[in-house]
Amino acid sequence: MNDVAVRLSGIGRRFGAVRALDGLDLTIERGSVVALLGPNGAGKTTAVSIMLGLTSPGTGTVTVFGQTPAAAVRAGRVGAMMQDAGVVPVATVREVVELARSLYPDPLPLDRLLHTAGLTDLAGRRWDRLSGGEAQRVRFGFALAGAPELLVLDEPTTAMDVAARDLFWETVHSYAADGHTVLFSTHQLHEADRFADRIVVLAAGRLVADGSPAEIRALAGGRTVAFDRDGTPADDLAGLPGVRSVEIRGDRVVLTTDDADTTDAALAGRGFRGLEVTGSLDAAFKSLTTGKDD
Amino acid sequence: MMYAYLRFESRRLIRDPRLLLFSVLGPVVTYVIFSGWSSGDRLEGLDPAVAVMIGLAGYGAVAGVLMVGATVSQERAAGWLRQLRVTPLPASRVVTVKALLASVSAFPPVIAVGLAARIQHDVALSAGRWAVLLTLMWAGTVPFALLGLAMGYGLTPQIAQPANFLVFLVLAVLGGLLAPAAYFPEALQRLAHALPTYRYAELGWSTAAGQAPPTAGLLILVAWSVVFGLVAAWAYRRSAGRG
Repeated sequence: MNDVAVRLSGIGRRFGAVRALDGLDLTIERGSVVALLGPNGAGKTTAVSIMLGLTSPGTGTVTVFGQTPAAAVRAGRVGAMMQDAGVVPVATVREVVELARSLYPDPLPLDRLLHTAGLTDLAGRRWDRLSGGEAQRVRFGFALAGAPELLVLDEPTTAMDVAARDLFWETVHSYAADGHTVLFSTHQLHEADRFADRIVVLAAGRLVADGSPAEIRALAGGRTVAFDRDGTPADDLAGLPGVRSVEIRGDRVVLTTDDADTTDAALAGRGFRGLEVTGSLDAAFKSLTTGKDD
Repeated sequence: MMYAYLRFESRRLIRDPRLLLFSVLGPVVTYVIFSGWSSGDRLEGLDPAVAVMIGLAGYGAVAGVLMVGATVSQERAAGWLRQLRVTPLPASRVVTVKALLASVSAFPPVIAVGLAARIQHDVALSAGRWAVLLTLMWAGTVPFALLGLAMGYGLTPQIAQPANFLVFLVLAVLGGLLAPAAYFPEALQRLAHALPTYRYAELGWSTAAGQAPPTAGLLILVAWSVVFGLVAAWAYRRSAGRG
C-alpha cells in the first residue's frame, strides 16, 4: 500500500448522455512518471479531476496515498496544474507563488522555487501581463510550491514553445528523481514517449494500452516512410533524422525510420509525391485509440 | 493559511481601480454636486446634507460590496477557484474571505462621503455616533454581499457584470439612495420601503438621528439576507458540482 500513490478501481463517470470514463482501473506507483495519453475526449481530464477530488466518480473507488483525494489534497500531499486555467488580475508572480507556499505545510524555499520554475527574472512582473508560456510557468510554480508528493499536470505544455518545453520537462524529471510521483496528461504521443516511464493510453473512457514507452512503441510494429522520387536525387536521404536505411524501388523510395513523424516532417516541403507513412507512432496511437488500423 | 489568502486577495482588490472609481469617487462627486439642492426640506427626519450623505454613502457601499462579489465570476471562469481547490485551503475559507472582503469594501465610501459632508456642509456627528454608523453600515452589507456572491457563483462573467450593474442601479434608485424616496409617488415609496437598499440606508439615517433602527426595517433586511443567502448557496453548490 505504501508504494502506491494513486489507485483507481472500476471508475465510471457520466456527464448526461456522455460516458466520460468506463470502468477505469489504474494504479500509479510512487516515484514514477506516468503519462496519461489519449485524444481529446478520451477522459483524461475527467480521470485527473477524479484523482484530485474535483469530480466525484459515478462508480468505483479512488484513493490517493490511501486517503480520499480530498483528504490528500487537504493534507498538502498533492499539487496540480490544471488545464486551460487563466490568470487573475492584479498580482505579481512573487505574490502568487508566495500564496501557494503559504497554503502548504512544508513548502519549497522561495528562491529555489522561483529558480526551479524559471521565474526568478519574472518575480516582480504582473501575472496577467505575461506571455502564455510564462503564465504557464507561474502555474507550474504554484503547483510545485508545496513540494507535493504527487504532482499532477493536465496538458501542461500547450502554451509553451519548444525551448520552454525542454526546460519544463527537465525540471519535472529532476523533481521526479527525488522520489516524487508525477502524472501528466497529454494528447501528444512524442511527449509521452520522451518524458514518461510509463504510458497509459485512454480512449473513449477506457484503458486501451499500458506499458513503458518502448512497449507502447512496439505495438506499432515497423515504421516506414515511402514516396515517389520523380527523378530528384536521393543521396542525402540517409542523413535525415530518424532514418535507418534507404531502399530505392524504381522511382519509389522507402525509408525505414526510428521516428516516422520526425522523418516525415523533415521531408515536408521537398515536393515528393505519394507520401505514405506506415506504422508511425501516430498511426499506432490512432489504431490503439480507435481500434482500427488505417 | 486563510490569513495569507486574505492578504493576497486584499492586495488585488486595492489595486482594482474600478472599485475606487465606482464606490468612492462616484458617490463623493455626486454628493459634492447635489447635496446643496434640496436645502429647506427635512429628509428622513434629518438635515438634507446628512440624509443625502448617508444615502450616497450607502450607494457607494452597495456598489463596492456587489462588485467584489461579482468578481468571483471571473475568477471562476479563469480556473482560479478550481486551482485553489487543489490546495490545502478549504473551499469554505475562500467563500469566507470573499464575503469578508465584500463587506469591508463598505468602509471607504462611507468614510469618504462622510469627509465630504464634513468639509462641504460642516456635518458633525459625535465620534460615538460615527462608530455606530460605520458598524451598522458594515453589518448591513450582509444581504448585498450574499447577493454579489450569488451572482458571482451563479452567472458567467459575460452576464455577471451587466447583471450586477443593472441590479445595483435598480436597487439603488428605487431604494432612494440617489434621489430621496420622500419625493417618490406613493406606490414607489411603498416599494422603496420593501427594498434592502432603503432599509440599509435607514440604519444610517436612524443612527444619525440618534435613534435605534426600527424593527420592521431590520426584519426586512434579515428576510432579504435569507433569500439572497439561499440563492448564493444554491449557486455555489451548482458551480462546485460542475468543478
